[in-house]
Amino acid sequence: MTMAKPKIASVWLEACAGCHMSFLDIDERIVDLLGKVELTATPITDIKIFPEVEVGVIEGALGNEEELHLAKELRERCKILIAWGDCAVFGGINCMRNFMPAEQVLKEGYVDTVSTVNPEGVIPRQDLPALLPQAIPVDRAVKVDVYVPGCPPDADTIYYVFSEILEGRIPTVPTDIMRYD
Amino acid sequence: MSDITLVIDGIECRAAKGETILQAAGKHDIYIPTLCWMEGLTPIGSCRMCVVEVEGNPKLLTACTTPAENGMKVHTKTEKLKQYRLQILELLFAGRNHFCMFCSQTGDCELQRLAIEHGMDRVRYPFLYEPFHNDASDPNIQMDHNRCILCLRCIRVCAEKVGAHTLDLEKRGWATNITADLGKELGESDTCVSCGACAQVCPTGTITLRDFVYRGRRTDCDDQVESICPLCSMGCRIKAYVRTGSVARVEGLSAASPDGGQLCHKGRWGLPKSTERDRLTVPMIRTGSSFREADWEEALELIASKMGPSAEAGRAGALLSELSTDEELSVVSSFFRDTMKMDKVDGFFGNLLRGFVNGFKPFADQGVRPFTGAHNILGSDAIIVLGADPQEEAPVAASYIRVSAIIERAKLINVSCGRNPFEGLTDGDHRAASPKEMKKLLLSLRTLVEGGEENASPEMQETARILREAKKPVFVIGSALAENPDLVTEALNLAVASRAFFDDGLGVVPMLRGGNCLGALNTVIGGSDWLSESELDFLYVLSTGMVDEDKRSLEAMTRARFVVVHTPFMVHPLVNMADVLLPAPAWFERSGHYCTLEGERRRMNMIVPPKGNLKGLSVIMNELAGKLGRELQPASAAPCENVYEAKAPSSAAAVVPVKEVR
Repeated sequence: MTMAKPKIASVWLEACAGCHMSFLDIDERIVDLLGKVELTATPITDIKIFPEVEVGVIEGALGNEEELHLAKELRERCKILIAWGDCAVFGGINCMRNFMPAEQVLKEGYVDTVSTVNPEGVIPRQDLPALLPQAIPVDRAVKVDVYVPGCPPDADTIYYVFSEILEGRIPTVPTDIMRYD
Repeated sequence: MSDITLVIDGIECRAAKGETILQAAGKHDIYIPTLCWMEGLTPIGSCRMCVVEVEGNPKLLTACTTPAENGMKVHTKTEKLKQYRLQILELLFAGRNHFCMFCSQTGDCELQRLAIEHGMDRVRYPFLYEPFHNDASDPNIQMDHNRCILCLRCIRVCAEKVGAHTLDLEKRGWATNITADLGKELGESDTCVSCGACAQVCPTGTITLRDFVYRGRRTDCDDQVESICPLCSMGCRIKAYVRTGSVARVEGLSAASPDGGQLCHKGRWGLPKSTERDRLTVPMIRTGSSFREADWEEALELIASKMGPSAEAGRAGALLSELSTDEELSVVSSFFRDTMKMDKVDGFFGNLLRGFVNGFKPFADQGVRPFTGAHNILGSDAIIVLGADPQEEAPVAASYIRVSAIIERAKLINVSCGRNPFEGLTDGDHRAASPKEMKKLLLSLRTLVEGGEENASPEMQETARILREAKKPVFVIGSALAENPDLVTEALNLAVASRAFFDDGLGVVPMLRGGNCLGALNTVIGGSDWLSESELDFLYVLSTGMVDEDKRSLEAMTRARFVVVHTPFMVHPLVNMADVLLPAPAWFERSGHYCTLEGERRRMNMIVPPKGNLKGLSVIMNELAGKLGRELQPASAAPCENVYEAKAPSSAAAVVPVKEVR
């Protein structure tokens, strides 16, 4: 009897894509992994709609309405949700802006930056998702089942986490391979 | 000493009464996590990482502050403790900006290490995101309060080891902050001595040194080498970190060592900054206003041809750095003094050292060692600073003096012609208008101490009383005093009258500036100051390039007809004076021994191998001797040997009469 391969969906929110890059660093083991799982919506496959999946993976913190929406959507459509990397787990570098109000962040970015020419001081509101008051770790918005800190987590750690989930276990990252940088 | 027994994690541990649970556990290799605790500093139990359970006590106790008691049953690794510790770490991470990805100390951070050790894969508490000040006002030390966990190590090291008391806490609760001088930025502080000890002990990325950040984490460095700082006779122990063949970081050894792991401003910045200076890597010969590269053969040939006739005529001299090792001093003195029979050999600090030597002589003649280890300032009950500016001359000794005066409540007295270097800390301050007045002052102090009746001022009476009553007075004598040997003798007389007797010698600490001044006494320091008067045809200068040359030496070089400068760095104006430049290894490329003021012979170790086309000093001297048709003679004096050997206990010292001050 052949069981359907478990499906994985991943999303790249407020982060640098380094975690997905680190995932690709599992090198030839990806062939083995692809034999066991089916990648659906990911930044790599460029499929934008999450199907119902067994495992959802979020890279990045939640900084705006769109990211919050995507996180909630993925949570609804997956059984196990992984917070991948320091941004998803702790908020990471995005939290640098939390030390000032969101309005000041926009002004800094669109008006005050030395390299910006914006004499009217226009801050785009229509075309961009609104900023949340603060960038937040994923578990401040939705329930997270597996935390994988690291900036990025090592490829071995990522592989370990997937392997454990495929074995039917909910892993915690062992201290000897955990990192925050 | 093992007078109590307790059980920690089922292991029977023996400990001395008064030891803490942490110390008892440490002796038996039982690990208890700590964060605010640091060996050598007063434990304060503030971070609560070291909490343990003690049977029969419902509270958790901090192992670092709780004394071990007989029969105690201690548990250090229960699930409850693990959860408490994890909670503490999460609260610390939630409190301020502890995002490792953009911190220079990631990988070296003790907070990070502990969090990983405790498997902290999330933070369950709301992050506060409260902005704190990033104090970048100091040119060398950065203090980002957003990274601070208030462990107070910096405050403690600044107070307990450096004695500067620059740092303290301001405000309350969440807003509590480290501050300098009761509310100033660090760069504006008047009390900060820029020693960088605070950064060395900081467990997080709060206090960092600009010279070292992003040059390699301690954990990433290829090698760690213990050595000593050559910059003054304190001979502070250092640890240098090597990464890809260069010195990435220099630190004091440890807060547990007697000097508290301190480096002074000179060592902390002078050592690492020197590794980036322009190097001299090949011999160079002057052509007009510039230099051309030469090979060793040609350079040594030229030197030999100039040196031979000059030495015959008694018009050759050698000026050597007291920052050289015993071994180097042996080689050069064997060449110049014993092989070439030159008597014009001296050190850069020759005059200063002669002042001390001549002043010490009457006591050395009595078989008494005329000084004691500088660490004896700690534990002393009265410190008398005589014509010294320790913060400039030997800054770690100044730390000892401050710690002794402030924390140990020793009496501190200044006697000087100029300013009081410890203004505000002194119990007595006596100023003399001139060296002559100074001598009178010392003499009347001695008369008072000896119980002589004299119509003295109440201040003098009080100082005399302090000296009379002191059990272990220490006299710190500086270069201002050494300008006149009689004043040195008079200072030692005062020490004898005050019964400043220590096991290793008289309670006197001379401020010797060069790292190996004591080693130079036997080998290179001549009996007279020929350098100021001589018109020389040939002058050989061995410099480490680490200390600015004084006027006397530079003038002598200007007057000399042919100058050979042997130095690691392209230091100006030294190289401008040279006719031939010879490259030498820098302090981090040499090894050898130093006679330190602490009475220990300490080893300087090679940290990285020498770069460039270098030759060893003994090879050079051998080749020069060969070219001059001579055989290199063994040195007649060994550097560190018999330097003020104690033949009699210091208490046997007798006061010596001093003539009228010249």
